[in-house]
Amino acid sequence: MSRQNLLPRTAPFGDGERASLDAVLGTASPTQRAWLAGFLAGLDAAGGQPAAVPAAPPKAAAPLTVIYASESGNSEALAGNVAKLARKQGFKPKVVDFADLDLATLPKAGKLIAIAATWGEGEPPARAVRAYGELMGEGAPRLDGVEFAVLSLGDTSYAEFCAIGKALDARFEALGGKRAAERADLDLDFEKPAADWIKGTLKALAPADASDNVVAVDFARAAPGEDDDVEPSREPLVVEVVEHVNLNSSRSDKETIHLALAFEDGAPAYEPGDSLEIFPENDPQLVDEILNAAGLTGDEALRKALLAERDITTLSAATIERFVKATGHTEAQKLIDSGEAKAWIEGRHLIDLLAAYPAELTPEHVTTITRPLPPRAYSIASSRKEVGDEVHLAIVAVRYEAHGRARAGVASVHVADRIRDGAKLRVRLKPNRHFRLPQDPATDIIMVGPGTGVAPFRAFVQERRAIEAPGRSWLFFGDRHFLHDFLYQLEWQDALEDRSLTKIDVAFSRDQPEKIYVQDRIVQNAKELVSWLDGGAHFYVCGDAKNMAKDVRAAVVKAYETVKALSPAEAEAQVAALERSHRYQQDVY
Amino acid sequence: MDDHSPRDTAETQATAPAKRVYETPPTERPITDAEAARAAQLAANEHIKIASGYLRGTLADGLLKHATGAISEDDGQLVKFHGMYMQDDRDLRPERTKKKLDKAYSFMIRLRIAGGVITPKQWLALDHIAVTYAGSALRATTRQTFQYHGVIKANLKRTMAAIDATLLDTIAACGDVNRNVMAATNPAQAGAHKAAYQLAKNISDSLLPKTSAWREIWLDGERVVGGEEEAEVEPVYGRTYLPRKFKTVIAVPPSNEVDIFAHDLGFIAILDKQNQVTGWNVTVGGGMGMTHGEPDTFPRTADVMGFVAPEDAIRVAEAVMTVQRDWGNRKNRKNARLKYTIERYGLDAFRAEVEKRIGKPLGAPKPFAFTDNGDRYGWVAGDDGRYHLTLYVPSGRIKDIADGPQFLTGLRRIAEVHQGDFRLTGNQNVIIANVPAEKRAEIDALVDEYGLTRGASALRRNSLACVALPTCGLALAESERYLPDLMTELEESLASHGLAEEPITIRSTGCPNGCARPFISEIGLVGRGPERYHLYLGAAHDGSRLSKLYKEDVAASEIRNTLDPLFADYAKGRQPGEHFGDYLIRAGHVARTTNGPDFHARTGALKPAAQS
Repeated sequence: MSRQNLLPRTAPFGDGERASLDAVLGTASPTQRAWLAGFLAGLDAAGGQPAAVPAAPPKAAAPLTVIYASESGNSEALAGNVAKLARKQGFKPKVVDFADLDLATLPKAGKLIAIAATWGEGEPPARAVRAYGELMGEGAPRLDGVEFAVLSLGDTSYAEFCAIGKALDARFEALGGKRAAERADLDLDFEKPAADWIKGTLKALAPADASDNVVAVDFARAAPGEDDDVEPSREPLVVEVVEHVNLNSSRSDKETIHLALAFEDGAPAYEPGDSLEIFPENDPQLVDEILNAAGLTGDEALRKALLAERDITTLSAATIERFVKATGHTEAQKLIDSGEAKAWIEGRHLIDLLAAYPAELTPEHVTTITRPLPPRAYSIASSRKEVGDEVHLAIVAVRYEAHGRARAGVASVHVADRIRDGAKLRVRLKPNRHFRLPQDPATDIIMVGPGTGVAPFRAFVQERRAIEAPGRSWLFFGDRHFLHDFLYQLEWQDALEDRSLTKIDVAFSRDQPEKIYVQDRIVQNAKELVSWLDGGAHFYVCGDAKNMAKDVRAAVVKAYETVKALSPAEAEAQVAALERSHRYQQDVY
Repeated sequence: MDDHSPRDTAETQATAPAKRVYETPPTERPITDAEAARAAQLAANEHIKIASGYLRGTLADGLLKHATGAISEDDGQLVKFHGMYMQDDRDLRPERTKKKLDKAYSFMIRLRIAGGVITPKQWLALDHIAVTYAGSALRATTRQTFQYHGVIKANLKRTMAAIDATLLDTIAACGDVNRNVMAATNPAQAGAHKAAYQLAKNISDSLLPKTSAWREIWLDGERVVGGEEEAEVEPVYGRTYLPRKFKTVIAVPPSNEVDIFAHDLGFIAILDKQNQVTGWNVTVGGGMGMTHGEPDTFPRTADVMGFVAPEDAIRVAEAVMTVQRDWGNRKNRKNARLKYTIERYGLDAFRAEVEKRIGKPLGAPKPFAFTDNGDRYGWVAGDDGRYHLTLYVPSGRIKDIADGPQFLTGLRRIAEVHQGDFRLTGNQNVIIANVPAEKRAEIDALVDEYGLTRGASALRRNSLACVALPTCGLALAESERYLPDLMTELEESLASHGLAEEPITIRSTGCPNGCARPFISEIGLVGRGPERYHLYLGAAHDGSRLSKLYKEDVAASEIRNTLDPLFADYAKGRQPGEHFGDYLIRAGHVARTTNGPDFHARTGALKPAAQS
């Protein structure tokens, strides 16, 4: 398309208007443009009104600060959406990552939107820990005169749903801020309600005299070509599985599936560090159990919907409430009233609710009670420079027993048990610009990735091999048993051989009486590790957020402490400085 | 009950063909370093030894290569001198590459336990190591020691440190050196056993490599600086050690449980009427290993070289070993064992050189008689009033078997209460030795509680199997995992001919290297390929005569059918007390093997066995 776009997106016009103006101005000669400029200036000076009223810009652009605490990138993307829409409405938005947030700037923010994800058991995203701690601490500045609104993202399958957003909302108020819009607590299917919330909140924050010519933007389905700034499609793509192999030995008690996915029309432009979302299907056996428990066996339409569209696993307090509302189940109501619901749902799933509180349900009930089946994101384990139009993933099958029932991770076990070579999967790229190789290929990298946490580092090493990066690379890998769980062992051997990997240290927890983890290897190698970091190395951690990532960080602090003879606080400051300069990056889950 | 007259090997020597022409031995000519390095045709292992810096190689560095469970190929040869073999789980091989995994490498670690005697305290420590690092199994070997399987590289140093803490070691348990020295266990002859054990221990200690490499590499010991002179570092071995492995045993007649004829060097106790040792007959040149399809390689039974007084025994051992060090073939490892040296130069020349080195002549061999090479199961009273219980351990595998005997746990419990000692036998069994009369009941109760077998069928009591698959890199077929099933079939067959209680030796190995000494077993099975075995018959029951290849490449499923008519014939035609191996020769089924050089002559069935 040869359309010329003269007007910036920040111009105070709607999309259609901008297109019309571009159509005229794009072909205008310099003389024509000069005449038009003079004409319009003269018209305004004479107090004349144009016949058709365009979106009038606010008298002065109102500053708006959008802060986000993001782990997987969703909050960050929404913050971008807020800024985009705000700009069109005459705000002057500034987007700040919690990782870079200087609290002293907040009292002057005037208008503040916070978008915060809640992670794990009610914790802030890793990058936000510092600023969040400061904000909650005694030294936080007063926010008198600041108008704020909080959007919180979470997952109802965790007990502390949206805890961080709730805490921020309360904290801003306690510090003297004025709530401009009610907080929204959103589950995994946040896209539509988030767009609505943003619209409403900006309206609430808008200066009283601002035009209400609001441009509606459908964030969930931004049609390509509508915008100059072409974003990757949010529509899932269908890919073919071309390799499906369990990387663990037949003697292992673990099962890690290596998947190679082929994109028919070319792989999306992913970078090492990005993730890929898989749209899973539910276990047909579980679907049948649910249908049976609901008395809906034989409803083929519902069965189909439950297989691919509804989350039939998660059980939250909200699920029970919806269940009670739909069925009027008195026993279940008692569970809520007793205050025991929160404890009861621990380790239980929807099927347990239906089994414990039998009820005749309609298909509509089932849809109301359940939420849409969310995709699951996995760190990409390949570089396009090495695998072309493929994406590789490493997915560990999650299986365990709880409350007398075998449980299975929805996506991981779908991939492990029901996907084979030649099968199709629906996927979507999920970029992660906070987990990136250094710009300079000569920079050293240290990678800590136990278990499937090693996936992005396979991508890193492939990438650096392809571009013949001169920087050194050091991998810390760990799992249970050396013989049976050493993911991609042969590839690491090749990488050491061709020098795309400089050094590897391994920690296998169950090969000896005492448990050895990657953090122990970090402490053992403290001197060399600190020397690499002093030389400018970037440090990456991928994998378990609950324990590993914290233990690894503590080990790095410890390394500074011992090698440089620092106090714990001084060593902590060194690591915090690494984080602020984005040399300590995490992709944890 | 046994009127089979034990074969006097010295007599055989006299009847052997006299016209044999031997090469002139390289007397007075020990090889020098310079000579060794110049000799372009030296076997590859000789160069590895020369370059190794007294068995160090690059082992210390190799242990730091964390991405691989293996060590370098050259280090893989050197590590044998330290008592280990690098192996990989061959059951897992097919899946590994597809899973992007390297071969499942691990190490077999063999201990040096001279005479096979260990204390209960050592037993408990070895048991703990097995549980911690080696898949909860100890394997009693055919050479009176224990080996561990499945120790991964990352755990080698920990395991070696734990072994060191038991006051045992693994030095020279494998490799081109004098390996673990075996001794008769017969506790009934307490005095003779004591002498045999003491000689085994003394030989093992005096012929031990002196390099500090073992302590340095495995225990982080300091490298001894300055002691680089060969005469100081390895005064006996020198930097190239021996041309090949060297195995020494001590026997006390009438039991040949140590299989003296299968070893490079042996001492046979000559007893007076009080069962005291008056001296030793010295045997040389036995050995089992051969290579399929290479008739230049063959098993050989040892010759009785002469008689030595007790005080000279150690010097004779060292002299025999150093003559082999100097005369042995270093160009061709398949021709390097002492048995080939003796075949090349003749026993007389060899004896003369040994006599020269000890500075006195050997005496003429004294008469002796062996009855068998098996163990005595159950309780035996010693002549010192103590009791000894021999337990049958199938293939020497000490582990807990699901729904079966709990060998590992049971023996641990016994070790916790036992005040005597344990003895490992050359037949892969365990003796709970030196039990006072009043402790017997307690031991018996534990044996019953854990289902430890005190005996089994006559066939099983006389069986040996090497490890073979999945860990042994040399195995061509199953052995330890197959022999029990085969014996079940053969037991039926034997019983149908009234032979259930007839002691017949049966041994299987996965390859022709002969770890379970199959070529001196009345029934010998040697792996050829998956489920294919060469069947050897006609050996002497006491281990003094080699067998003969009776049938090539027998399918596992056909072994019973092949043996059944021979069992039937034996049941009908045997003379009182006549053993199976002897009968097959007398009845003309298979030719008698005189010794190694005619092992490959007149093979095959000499007449069709009657169909039963």
